[in-house]
Amino acid sequence: MKSYLKLLIGSTCILFQTACNGKINNAKTVTVSINGNCEMCKETIEKAANKKNMAELVWNIDTKIAQLTYDSIKTNRDEILKRVAYAGYDNELFLAPDDAYSKLPSCCKYERTGKTKPVESAIVKSEVVSGVKKDSVVQVVKSNQLQSLFNAYFELKNALVKTNSDSAAVKAKLFSNLVANIDMTTLESKEHVVWMKVYKSLTTSAESIGKSKDVEAQRVIFMALSKDMYDLIKVAKLDKPVYYQHCPMYNDGKGANWLSLENAVKNPYYGSQMLNCGKTVEVIK
Amino acid sequence: MSYIKIIVIFIALLLCNHLFAQKRVRYDLYVRDTVVNYSGKDRMAYSVNGQIPMPELHFTEGDTAEVHIHNELNTETSIHWHGLILSNEQDGVPYLTTAPIKAHNTHIYQFPLVQNGTYWYHSHTGLQEQIGMYGAFIIHKREQQLLPEYTMILSDWTDMKPFEVHRRLHSANDWSAIKKAKIQRGAAQSYADAIREGSLGVKFVNEWKRMLAMDVSDVYYDKFLTNGKVEVAAPQFKAGEKVRLRIINGSASTYFWLNYAGGKITVVASDGIDVEPVEVDRMIIAVSEIYDVIVTIPAENTAFEFTATSEDRIRSTSLWLGKGVKQLASPLKPLKYFEGMKMMNGMMKMSGNLDDMGMNMSLQQMDMNVVMYPEITGEKADRKKSDKTQSSKENQYNSNALSDIVTLNYAMLKSPVKTTLPQAPTKLLHFVLTGNMNRYVWSLDNKTVSETDKIMIKKGENVRIVLYNNSMMRHPMHLHGHFFRIVNGQGEYAPLKNVLDIMPMETDTIEFAATESGDWFFHCHILYHMMSGMGRIFSYENSPPNPQLPHPEKSIRKLYKDDREFHFMFQNDFASNGNDGEMMYMNTRYNLQAEWRLGYHDMHGYEIETHFGRYIGKMQYLFPYIGFDYRYRKMGIDEVEENIFGQKNTKDIRRALCIGVQYTLPFLIMADARFDSDGKVRLQFMREDIPISKRLRMHLMGNSDLEYMAGLKYVLGKSIALSAHYDSDMGFGGGFTFTY
Repeated sequence: MKSYLKLLIGSTCILFQTACNGKINNAKTVTVSINGNCEMCKETIEKAANKKNMAELVWNIDTKIAQLTYDSIKTNRDEILKRVAYAGYDNELFLAPDDAYSKLPSCCKYERTGKTKPVESAIVKSEVVSGVKKDSVVQVVKSNQLQSLFNAYFELKNALVKTNSDSAAVKAKLFSNLVANIDMTTLESKEHVVWMKVYKSLTTSAESIGKSKDVEAQRVIFMALSKDMYDLIKVAKLDKPVYYQHCPMYNDGKGANWLSLENAVKNPYYGSQMLNCGKTVEVIK
Repeated sequence: MSYIKIIVIFIALLLCNHLFAQKRVRYDLYVRDTVVNYSGKDRMAYSVNGQIPMPELHFTEGDTAEVHIHNELNTETSIHWHGLILSNEQDGVPYLTTAPIKAHNTHIYQFPLVQNGTYWYHSHTGLQEQIGMYGAFIIHKREQQLLPEYTMILSDWTDMKPFEVHRRLHSANDWSAIKKAKIQRGAAQSYADAIREGSLGVKFVNEWKRMLAMDVSDVYYDKFLTNGKVEVAAPQFKAGEKVRLRIINGSASTYFWLNYAGGKITVVASDGIDVEPVEVDRMIIAVSEIYDVIVTIPAENTAFEFTATSEDRIRSTSLWLGKGVKQLASPLKPLKYFEGMKMMNGMMKMSGNLDDMGMNMSLQQMDMNVVMYPEITGEKADRKKSDKTQSSKENQYNSNALSDIVTLNYAMLKSPVKTTLPQAPTKLLHFVLTGNMNRYVWSLDNKTVSETDKIMIKKGENVRIVLYNNSMMRHPMHLHGHFFRIVNGQGEYAPLKNVLDIMPMETDTIEFAATESGDWFFHCHILYHMMSGMGRIFSYENSPPNPQLPHPEKSIRKLYKDDREFHFMFQNDFASNGNDGEMMYMNTRYNLQAEWRLGYHDMHGYEIETHFGRYIGKMQYLFPYIGFDYRYRKMGIDEVEENIFGQKNTKDIRRALCIGVQYTLPFLIMADARFDSDGKVRLQFMREDIPISKRLRMHLMGNSDLEYMAGLKYVLGKSIALSAHYDSDMGFGGGFTFTY
């Protein structure tokens, strides 16, 4: 019984396909591979690819292979697969834009096997551009202890800019781990003096941000943490200027500061509510 | 033996050094007519050495450039070296600084290169730049560069002849908008589109304020090109590599958004001059502007897309960096035109002036267009939500404040070295950028190049220019032969540029040290704006005579001819009840019009009115004219025509002189009051081309002679429309309208 049904479905499919194929002139059929997960993916992929009298695509969930028939004069494989990628689906020719993929419903979030992991050198190099060197060179390990701490701070700040308390908590935990692992003996004398002054409060601030789930509470603590980081960064050696920024409204109008790698203001105390409130008060080089 | 070796090496080194320091680099460029096919249609274009764009020229700072231009065209040409510091007669503006290169002649340019960076060269004659005459001009630094590099010259291509494009812009022809609407629904901004978007009120107010559809860019382009192709691959770059892209906007009138699928873009130079590296997510590049950026190829086996999308987001062109499966960049979503229209309604005063509502706008920081960008201000659905979360009025248009996408603006550019001008007296100049979209008149202080004298400056002084853009479009203002500082809050480290993009309602200040001699052009680099006269000439006092131009007085008139040009427009409705038509021959200020109604028999009559007049005022709403009417009509016995003023007319043949005035009323209604030599008075109201839907246009007319007309037109092609109308004299009629 079941096999009859299958047969029936199969033959209607074929019938349907040929009926449609009949309308496509100069037809050319190829097989293409397209990533995807579920029935919903199938629907989206085929909807993106199909165009009346021009292109007809049937995607197989199990094999991730699609039969593509198209009018070889009016269109081409690239054009059709580009549409599929814009809909969020990586395929043999194109990788979907990241935001198209991220907009897919969670059941459709297939594993992006087509994407190659960023190469190591690219990370280092791109971070040289953004001014933060990774500890790839042994010589500079010393100053890089603090550098990675600053990095963790900027990541925490960015989480607060996005008003994401979970992410802020994770970053804060990372930060406090780094604080605990700083080797004081390798710090320069100026750094050492400041470090002695701030490390206790840095630890407590970071730990309480890490425990908190309330972004407003995290922001209040972040204010104190930023002050300590400012003292520290003033004596540290930097690869790139850091911007000391001020929001006049926070803390009941008393104002609050933070550090940023960019001159453009992205306020961590208010997030999208008042993203651009504030100004750079000092450039630390 | 080893002595000889050392000597040889020493000599070789010496020679090398000598060569590097004072090399003469010669290029021969052959300009020819050619046929190209970008979109399936053969079209005429200009090629140089058989290619479009023109060849990429490479030099090293300190070299002397020697370029032989062999003009094999049957028309004259010229080459301007955009952004180069050189003596006036090498600048290449025909009739202003350099002799034009006549047909089948050769011209030799020769100049030392005293700078380094990315520049470009293009024809400065007529509209030649639109169809192929643009190329990259790279001057390398003396020291070895560490990064691999790639040059992208962006351009725009239209299948329409540039002459046609220009002519149609001047007759407010909306074929471009229809072509855009074919690709992007809603781009025609008709009443039907407005209803669909729930913005009918917005469209009404817009027309009430005498504005035509929002044109983000004037011209419909069939293709956008990178180095002459829609898509270019650069597979030579490896994963992990950083690449310096030299990006030149060599288009005639297209601004491009630049986006990269492989991460951030680091801007390192602008208009050839280094700036402090600044990291952005995206940036806009104005017409003729240049940016050098550094991007990283982040992963193996992948080609990352670097896109340039036209500001109207109709099309884009791409460069693929790396080898492998192609990682797409996110495409820019269509503009929310009616949001833009709403914004313009708020800014536009009834006088046609713009009101910035107390925001001091400058340096591309407040982009009024953000209201149209879905990626910044959200999709249509969450419009109300985004209104609420808007931080403050001050940041309403600041795209960097409204989202976490970082967009480059001029305030972010900073010179790595001090750029302060020498101590000297300062000459202060103010210019208001003015324009009139409906008639396509573009000017400074409502005066075109030919309507003003040259602006005299003295060598040794500093010139400070304050620009205010009171027009509805952005303008890339370019100064020849000098770099100016953009006063942008970076103090002594203000960046140096030679193109300033100024958005509507912005005020920007630029300044430069007058160190040259001769005449230098300062103009909007949108080709069709420049040809309409949007510019000025800076002239150094007591300059030595220019050997290139033995009769400067005579030659300057040739330059002035560009913006004095008359444009012809013709339209006739071949209908079942007669022919209705009009004709215009117009330039910046004057218009010779003729309107006719020709019936098929004497009862309907034959009627023609001609006017000649001058447009008054910046917005050109007022048009006084003198004219002549002729009419022949066979009326019934004792039939008398009477107008609402009780004046009667019984003549079959009427010849009359008239004086009158036309005035554009709100809602773009043309009021026409006239008085003729028979003592007759006539008052008429008319509105043409009401955009009902993408292709449907309506016109209405009524006058005090109790004549009236209503018609519909369905646009089929760029010059053909189906039409139907009812006319009080001739009754119903249907047919087709031909427009030239």
